Amino acid sequence: MIRLEQVTKSYGETIAVNGLFLEIGKGEVCVLIGPSGCGKTTTLRMINRLTEPTSGRIFIDGRDTASINVEKLRLSIGYAIQSVGLFPHMTAFDNIAVVPQLLHWGKKRIARRVKELLELVGLKPTEYARKYPSQLSGGEAQRIGVARALAADPPIMLMDEPFGAVDPLTRERLQAQFIHIQQEVKKTIVLVTHDLDEAIRLADRIAIMESGRLVQYDSPEVILSRPRSKFVRDFVGADRALKRLSRLGIKNFIKAAATVNVNRPIKEAVASARGYRWLWVVDNNQQLIGWVDRSTLAQFASIKEAMDEGDAGEIALSDSATLREALSRMLGLGFKHIPVVDDRQRLIGEVTLGDIEAATTERGG
Amino acid sequence: MSRQRARRWILLGVALGAFLVLVANTGWWETGLRYLFPEETTVIHPRASLLVLVWEHIQLVAISSSITIIIGIPLGIWVTRPGGRDFLPIVSDITSFGQTFPPVAVLALAVPVLGFGLMPTIVALFLYSLLPVVRNTIAGLRAVPAHLLDAAYGMGMGRLQVLFRVELPLSARVILAGVRISVIINIGTAMIGAVIGAGGLGSPIIAGLVRDNLAFIIEGALPAALLAILADQFLANIESSFAYISDRV
Repeated sequence: MIRLEQVTKSYGETIAVNGLFLEIGKGEVCVLIGPSGCGKTTTLRMINRLTEPTSGRIFIDGRDTASINVEKLRLSIGYAIQSVGLFPHMTAFDNIAVVPQLLHWGKKRIARRVKELLELVGLKPTEYARKYPSQLSGGEAQRIGVARALAADPPIMLMDEPFGAVDPLTRERLQAQFIHIQQEVKKTIVLVTHDLDEAIRLADRIAIMESGRLVQYDSPEVILSRPRSKFVRDFVGADRALKRLSRLGIKNFIKAAATVNVNRPIKEAVASARGYRWLWVVDNNQQLIGWVDRSTLAQFASIKEAMDEGDAGEIALSDSATLREALSRMLGLGFKHIPVVDDRQRLIGEVTLGDIEAATTERGG
Repeated sequence: MSRQRARRWILLGVALGAFLVLVANTGWWETGLRYLFPEETTVIHPRASLLVLVWEHIQLVAISSSITIIIGIPLGIWVTRPGGRDFLPIVSDITSFGQTFPPVAVLALAVPVLGFGLMPTIVALFLYSLLPVVRNTIAGLRAVPAHLLDAAYGMGMGRLQVLFRVELPLSARVILAGVRISVIINIGTAMIGAVIGAGGLGSPIIAGLVRDNLAFIIEGALPAALLAILADQFLANIESSFAYISDRV
């Protein structure tokens, strides 16, 4: 989809990007990351020719971008930048409508599209369409910025630290929304960030750059488990094993758990516990309501009496959580098993510390 | 917001009407000035009625300010484009020079070439009032944040689209502020036109100075001051209609 061949950009003596080869597949999220001044933003800006490369060629779908009219090229590439870049004299509606207007869409079509996009980014059209950027919170403005970049449904999106200017909590939410939106729209995305956690969370492939050169270009899993150089190893940090866990959803690690219905006789609990010390207790709806310790079961007459009642929300993980969250929950509660529930609080299994250990060491992390 | 704006326009209209009624009734001026200066034999300049003088004055200012705007704003735009950027220092210097050069001296130099009357006055006023317009146009355009230009170009706008959709709307207030200053300066400076027969409210003032008649001077100065206030309000109203919500509401 996007291919950079031997791309170099120099400003006089300083070389910002040095002989870069990079290939980004269709529908992939490629995150460019590296210390400041490594050339990641320059690389991004060369793709839509806001910066012209000194030498080398950039192809989009096999066409050399230098041969395409620059405005046409940019109209076909969504662009979202760090400081949001919303035009302060235009409403959210008009900001999103910029590119469709440049493309001479009809009024009705634009209105429909803007409404659709506001809904996509989770903002109520009736409430937000007529607001000016100064009336929006940082997170809302970022979302309008993303909606604007998506407006004409471009196959490619370039994003320069799109979640840079918001607080950590909002950033996390925006990232989650980004993943969700990307699953829906499947764009080819090149995203620049300096936040490694963000890169690991969002990327299909991470391109790590150091002083104008590409030092490693791999999936987050590979970058974390097999950093190719000392620079990459230092860059991803000593806690890379932990970081890797945040790439792994618990879905693939859920095992059947020892459970017992709260209304069953205590004997049944003793029998079904077998090798387990702990048993999860569910009600008739399969909803998790607590747990029992097998070693003390004999002292009680019924499961209800033996049961430790826990707030399922505080103990159980949802099936969309990551192993990192699971580990954190285990360490926090002092459990070696964490129950997993679906969105209706029904127990679907458990994740064990042993499996997490296996996952971290599996590929020699 | 818009109701407030409408109210300002209505107020301005009322003030303008009152001003016209005031300058149309020479009798009121005669009574008032005679009361203030009983020793003068004539208190109203005989050359033309006050209404005509005001009209001449407005013409002088309107023509010269229009030329200033028509030339000044494009000039300011041009020197901030890549093609004209090299000329920025020269244009800055020339416009500064235009303002430091006394209009009376411009008149003296222009009369031999352009003759007496309207033309040399307009040239002098134009040169004198160019600076605020050009300077504010440059300042306004330069104050447009770089990241907005980046976003605009990055989304695929062409140079003209960026200029008309982003740069000019965002700098409109600053540019209009320059126009406002320039027009107010012109209303005052247009007085000197009377020296070479361009008419206007300068006529009674010059006559008053020559004949040592304070009543004439007031007859010229007071309407000019009121005119300046009205023009200022008029332009302020236009300026505020270009405001976008810049504060949280």
